[in-house]
Amino acid sequence: MSGVPLIWYLLLSFGLFGLGLLGVMRRRNPLLMLLAVELMLNSANIALVGFARHWDNTDGQIFALVVMAVAAAEVVIGLGLVVAVFRQRLALNVDEMSSLKG
Amino acid sequence: MEPALAWIVLGLPLLGAATLAAWPTEPPRSMTRVLGVGPIALGFLLSAWLYVQMLGESSDDRLVVSRVWEWIEIGDLTIDVALQIDPLSVMMMLIITGVGSLIFLYSTEYMEHDRDYRRFFAEMGFFVFSMLLLVLAANFLFLIVGWALVGLASYLLIGFYYEKPPAVAAAKKAFIINVIGDIAMVIGAFILIVELGTLDYALVFEAAPDGLSRGAVEAVTILLFVGAAAKSAQVPLHTWLPDAMEGPTPVSALIHAATMVTAGVYLVVRTHELYELAPFASDLVAITGAVTLFLAATIAMVQVDVKRVLAWSTVSQIGYMIMAAGLGAYGAAMFHLMTHAFFKALLFLSIGIVIHGLAGEQSLDRMGGLGRHLKLAYVATAIGVLAISGVPGTSGFFSKDEILASAWDAGDLGRALWVVGALAAGITAFYMFRLLLRTFYGPEPGGGYGVHPHRSRWPMTVPVAVLAVLSLFGGWIQVPSGWSWITDWLEPVIGPESIPGQQAEGVTLVASIAVVAIGAGVAWWIFAADPGRRSRLAGRFAATRRLLEDGYRFDPVYQQALVQPSRDLGDYLYGRFEPDFIQGMLKGAVSLVRGGAIALRAAQDGLVRTYAFVMVAGVVSLGALLAWVVTR
Repeated sequence: MSGVPLIWYLLLSFGLFGLGLLGVMRRRNPLLMLLAVELMLNSANIALVGFARHWDNTDGQIFALVVMAVAAAEVVIGLGLVVAVFRQRLALNVDEMSSLKG
Repeated sequence: MEPALAWIVLGLPLLGAATLAAWPTEPPRSMTRVLGVGPIALGFLLSAWLYVQMLGESSDDRLVVSRVWEWIEIGDLTIDVALQIDPLSVMMMLIITGVGSLIFLYSTEYMEHDRDYRRFFAEMGFFVFSMLLLVLAANFLFLIVGWALVGLASYLLIGFYYEKPPAVAAAKKAFIINVIGDIAMVIGAFILIVELGTLDYALVFEAAPDGLSRGAVEAVTILLFVGAAAKSAQVPLHTWLPDAMEGPTPVSALIHAATMVTAGVYLVVRTHELYELAPFASDLVAITGAVTLFLAATIAMVQVDVKRVLAWSTVSQIGYMIMAAGLGAYGAAMFHLMTHAFFKALLFLSIGIVIHGLAGEQSLDRMGGLGRHLKLAYVATAIGVLAISGVPGTSGFFSKDEILASAWDAGDLGRALWVVGALAAGITAFYMFRLLLRTFYGPEPGGGYGVHPHRSRWPMTVPVAVLAVLSLFGGWIQVPSGWSWITDWLEPVIGPESIPGQQAEGVTLVASIAVVAIGAGVAWWIFAADPGRRSRLAGRFAATRRLLEDGYRFDPVYQQALVQPSRDLGDYLYGRFEPDFIQGMLKGAVSLVRGGAIALRAAQDGLVRTYAFVMVAGVVSLGALLAWVVTR
């Protein structure tokens, strides 16, 4: 099969996933954390689509569509939470939202 | 013959008791009287009808088992709800309901001043039901059920005056000692289930000769006898009966003299097929009876409480019956059971008139000279004393002589026990005449009576009169070398019984008349001939008197050997084991959970990045593990 070999897709996916993970762990702002989570989800989509091409099988592409739907739902809830927190006039800093800690 | 009659007789007292118990308020006394006495009296009439019907049957048809339904079926073991209707149970029914109706009638008057009128009759009715269940049961399971229920009824009625601490203590003592017997009986029944796979009387007796090894049959009979000894107050399980006199006098008359305490005799006679296979157990039974009858008779000589004198004499008389049953003289044992029910009920009821007349006074020291005030009680007690002493012609004479004559013919052991029994007959005459003379004869006590002795009304006097007639003439139904109606009547159950020989009858007749004359004469010499002699003699035998007054100190020994260690164990378990160990275990579990929680709480630091890091670390380590497992 011609075109870009599978390994490049996976490297791109891995790189994006690492960036996303780093963002989730390093950032304090919930909006940016949501963006980082989106990055991780989409890196997984790249891997899925890459595998689909490699095996000439559409299952991976269908999975990618399902992940997009899940990501949309997650963003809706996440942004809703962010707006709710903002309305309480609390600082947008996840480290300070820890009233349930042990 | 109509087996339904037995079911009705069994159900009537329960119905009466349940109605009284369930009545929302204290019912009117007239209604309590009807519901109390009615079922028992009706039961007696129906039992008599059953008896008449049975007389019309041939002796082979007199053994009826009335099965209603199958109650329990576990594996091969089936237990029916069934009644055994045969000459033995009909005889017991007649005694229980007959003597019972008289005592119930007496109680209507005796308990008149008591506030718990309804409770008394409800509990007494419950007792009669339990006792009938005991004697009518057709298998060991229902026997044990009845056995335990009469123990419960006895407990309730001994503790009738529950605000009196001695009554409560006596009730608990009676219950605990009886439970020892119950446990032994249950173990015996288990052995029968394991060895024979049935509890049905008929099947057990049929299978026992081949199905039971010698050891098993000895074990079963000894275990059953432990139950019998506990219920019938035989040494060493006798100590509860004298204390049981804390109950009202009619209770003592019905339960602790006439019926319940003779259940042990009934049990041995009922299971005589097993005892005949167990010579060792039979000898044990006979010797226990002889030891008991002698010890109890000696103790009765010095008791000061009138009811305790009668209680010890009951223990002693049951000893005679148990001895006879152990020696295989079942007819004689049942004969004495019947006459004893008459004369001991009579004694309790006539002494009850005295106690009632003196407003609860029971001490012999506060009596004396009462014959002038309470003539009927005097005459009735005198008849009872003559009968229990075995004065010729009275009922006790025939039954006790038959036991002694049977003992004379029962080998070497029998001869030895005959001597004990004959000696104790003399002692019996002594202590009963002592009771009679110190109560009714001689001077009035210094300081007079606490209250003026008052006469009793007809509900108390009529039963006493009937029982007096029965005590005088009830023995003529079985006369040596004449006729033997009791033994003949019981023959379908106990088998043909050898009649004591002429020699045995002769020796016993002479000996018993002699010892009774001596016993009564000594009592007259000490208590009546010279007023000062009693106190002079009492000083000379002070140590012996104290030993006898304490009943050979069984109670202190039990107290030290059993009660106190149990109490100490309880105190230890309550004071140390429970707080330190049981509570300690709980506290340990609690602090473990709490400590763990505190330690784990640190992980919840509320920082999202920590959670994310832990998650990633988990995924990475799982992946590493997977990779290691796959590549290995």
